[in-house]
Amino acid sequence: MNLDQALPVFIEEGRALLQEMEEGLLGLEQTPDDPDILNAIFRAAHTIKGSAGLFGLDGIVSFTHVVENVLDRMRAGEILTQPDLTNLLLQSCDEISVLIDAAAAGSESDVDPTSNGVGLLHRLRAYLETSDASSDAGHLPAKAPPPVEVCGEAAVSGDCWRIVVDFGENVLRNGFDPASFIRYLCNLGEIVHLATKTERLPPAELMDPESCYLGFEIDFRSAADKQTIENVFEFVREDCHIRITPPPAFAEVAIERIEALKAEADKVGEILIEADAVTPREIEEALALQNEIDARTQRHPPMGEILVQEGMLQQPVVEAALEKQKKIRDAKIGESRFIRVDSGKLDQLINQVGELVIAGATASLLAQRTNDSELQEALSTILRLVEEVRGGALQLRMVQIGETFNRFNRIVRDVSKELGKDIELQISGAETELDKTVVEKIGDPLTHLVRNAIDHGIESTDRRVAAGKPAKGTVRLNAYHESSSIVIEVTDDGGGLNRDKILSKAIERGLVNAGQNLSEQEIYNLIFEPGFSTADTISNLSGRGVGMDVVRRNIEALRGMVEINSRQGQGSTVRIRLPLTLAIIDGFLVSVAGCSYVIPLEVVSECVELDEREQRHGCYVNLRGEVLPILNLREHFKIHGQTSRRQNIVVTHFGGQKAGLLVDELMGEFQTVIKPLGKLFGKVRGVSGFTILGSGEVALILDVLSLIQYAAGLEAQKAA
Amino acid sequence: MAIEFTEDGGALRLSGELTIYHAAEIKQPLLTMLQSGNELEIDLSGISEIDTAGFQLLMLAKRETDRTGGNLRLTSHSPAVLELIELYNLAGFFGDPLVITAAHGAGGRSS
Amino acid sequence: MAKTILIVDDSASLRQVVSIALKGAGYDVVEARDGQDALTKLNGQRIHLIISDVNMPNMDGISFVREAKQLPAYKFTPVIMLTTESQESKMAEGKAAGAKAWVVKPFQPAQMLDAVSKLIAP
Repeated sequence: MNLDQALPVFIEEGRALLQEMEEGLLGLEQTPDDPDILNAIFRAAHTIKGSAGLFGLDGIVSFTHVVENVLDRMRAGEILTQPDLTNLLLQSCDEISVLIDAAAAGSESDVDPTSNGVGLLHRLRAYLETSDASSDAGHLPAKAPPPVEVCGEAAVSGDCWRIVVDFGENVLRNGFDPASFIRYLCNLGEIVHLATKTERLPPAELMDPESCYLGFEIDFRSAADKQTIENVFEFVREDCHIRITPPPAFAEVAIERIEALKAEADKVGEILIEADAVTPREIEEALALQNEIDARTQRHPPMGEILVQEGMLQQPVVEAALEKQKKIRDAKIGESRFIRVDSGKLDQLINQVGELVIAGATASLLAQRTNDSELQEALSTILRLVEEVRGGALQLRMVQIGETFNRFNRIVRDVSKELGKDIELQISGAETELDKTVVEKIGDPLTHLVRNAIDHGIESTDRRVAAGKPAKGTVRLNAYHESSSIVIEVTDDGGGLNRDKILSKAIERGLVNAGQNLSEQEIYNLIFEPGFSTADTISNLSGRGVGMDVVRRNIEALRGMVEINSRQGQGSTVRIRLPLTLAIIDGFLVSVAGCSYVIPLEVVSECVELDEREQRHGCYVNLRGEVLPILNLREHFKIHGQTSRRQNIVVTHFGGQKAGLLVDELMGEFQTVIKPLGKLFGKVRGVSGFTILGSGEVALILDVLSLIQYAAGLEAQKAA
Repeated sequence: MAIEFTEDGGALRLSGELTIYHAAEIKQPLLTMLQSGNELEIDLSGISEIDTAGFQLLMLAKRETDRTGGNLRLTSHSPAVLELIELYNLAGFFGDPLVITAAHGAGGRSS
Repeated sequence: MAKTILIVDDSASLRQVVSIALKGAGYDVVEARDGQDALTKLNGQRIHLIISDVNMPNMDGISFVREAKQLPAYKFTPVIMLTTESQESKMAEGKAAGAKAWVVKPFQPAQMLDAVSKLIAP
């Protein structure tokens, strides 16, 4: 289209407007900040910019844009009129005049600011920057892309876009006609098929003749991109429901673009937008849907799932974006996702929460004595919150065991090299969490177990090959949660323990008697006895004075236990069972002759009343046909006092073993902080700590593991 | 030119601009006329301009007569009406024979 | 019968360029230099689409659109508002007045033509 005939009009108009600006600026010197004058000047600059844009005179547009911005701020009172500034603006008028003259003289349209102009721009921007730190101050707004932008790619192999559009009722009243948007679509491609949806047309009496009730399903063949197609409906977007489903072949193109993307964004939606696979409007809509579903069903569906369900995108594209997201996130890992906190502060917090639990119990006890139900209700709310805080505080100290496990990659590599063995370390359950204090203390025993597995467990390559096993040995570290314990396993696929060798060595060392009848399991676990070594040759690695007995001691000190399973020729598994935290336990409160005891709740399986009529076979009872060893706490702790009329058995289990504890009264669940016993009581068997009850009374926390072992031992002795 | 209803020897005739500007005023008379008999014919040759609002009224009329077991025939479609019927792919909906002239066969698909 | 478009802007050159572009595409064009002028142009002829600037002397674009929309003959006539990116509040005002489409200044003639052809065919 030829605009040359219109250019002289612009030149003439521009000069007149400049004249107006100049007069206005001079007027400002008489009456500074006069709003009418400021408005007139602003409008003149605005008009010059607008018209220059039409002629593609970008030099004038960009220069005038800055002038306009300064004037706009003056109009808003953000920049005050001052002689320097009026001078600067007058000079700017001169510059615009020069640019207009150049446009008039040159046949080609574009004119760049002169060097003088560049200096003026600099000074104008200084005003904008001091008036406010607005980011776009003085910069030309990004040019809107031309609405019709046919993307360079070849038309998607004969496939069609599917456009489903339901026009809102107000569309006609707003002056729009759906027919014209559909006619416009024909500019972008070919309507292969169109079906008009008429089902929204209401019964005659309800039908408002000025409302729109139609919708359309359109199969559209076009090389345009999604944004361009969406833009067709931009003016009615707020009043419509639009779904644009890309043709199948589009997926490949989109996936390629996603893979080629150099993106910072790590949200699936942002990645898809950047790759032009979806439009910002679609993501906005999907986000709204996501929130809506979340509020309705408490389920937070992934963005990708919604996009696919709504037909905005195909599954493979979403998968590509997820893959990309993972890559971007992996690259970002370690970047400020955590804050470092002094662990002392955490300890203190947990301690205080512990005290809070006790104080809460006291208050609860007092409240129960009153008949004030409101007080009791308020208190139960507090207790519930305290429990949540407690959980949260402990969670803060939870760390994944993965980091500890990963350290062993290096150890396995170095040690196996040293011994000339080819060994691979497999890690699983790295995300299993446990208390930081436990993690710190588990490192040494684990190291010992891993070294042991490499040194004594895995055979030499020759022997492995001879035994028909893969030449490469495997050591496996695994962790998982089981009731409220964490279980850590160190497994090797070596030769396994030699039962006879262990037994003979144990007899030799006087650990067991020659005639003693021992189960396979018991024999294996002899290796945890003090001063036991089975290696034929003392290698560099063992013989450092740290034996399996030390491992066991360390683990038991953490209220944990360790056992070993082994199969001849196939390898061994050392299984460590540890409490998740050392600070607080959920307990079960019982009493014996008026004294209170706490049994860790996680080891309690059930409580049964002792039937006096039933014959007690010494130290065990018949529990539904099962032989259950019984430990009478009254006897064990040598408590004198009246036997209560009724007695109860608390059935406990630990590490596959079961035992019943005979007590008087059952007092229910109880949450408490463990306070360690003083050194004086360190040797007392069956007690792991104490706590203070709400009433101020002291209750001992039972060490069920040792009690079970003791009870099982008693039973075994009786049986023998 | 506003919208007009005329009766021409038993056949109804709609002429003028069947657009949103007149949709509200035309709806009731149109529905009333539909009740006057079972066999109805509306001559559309005089429709100079039609938009989606006007078109919805024709759709409403068709659906209402179908519902009451009547028969509505639209005849002598003007080019403006033909163009919209074709754009919306609703010839089947109305079921009337259309006279498609060469000039409007493209249905406005050219820009 | 070609559709008629009214272009309202205080810049004669802008009006002329838009006019050239629209006439080239087959529309008829009527020009007005401000809101007051535009209101008089609405009388006595049929206008199918209005393009109006916001900032104009005498009567600004928003007041003009508001008044035009009161006229029975223009109640449903589509209006394109010429806005700038820094005028978001103006845009909302314009929409409330009845201008539901918009083109952002500065624009190329082709962009204007594109917006117009989404709304009415020549």
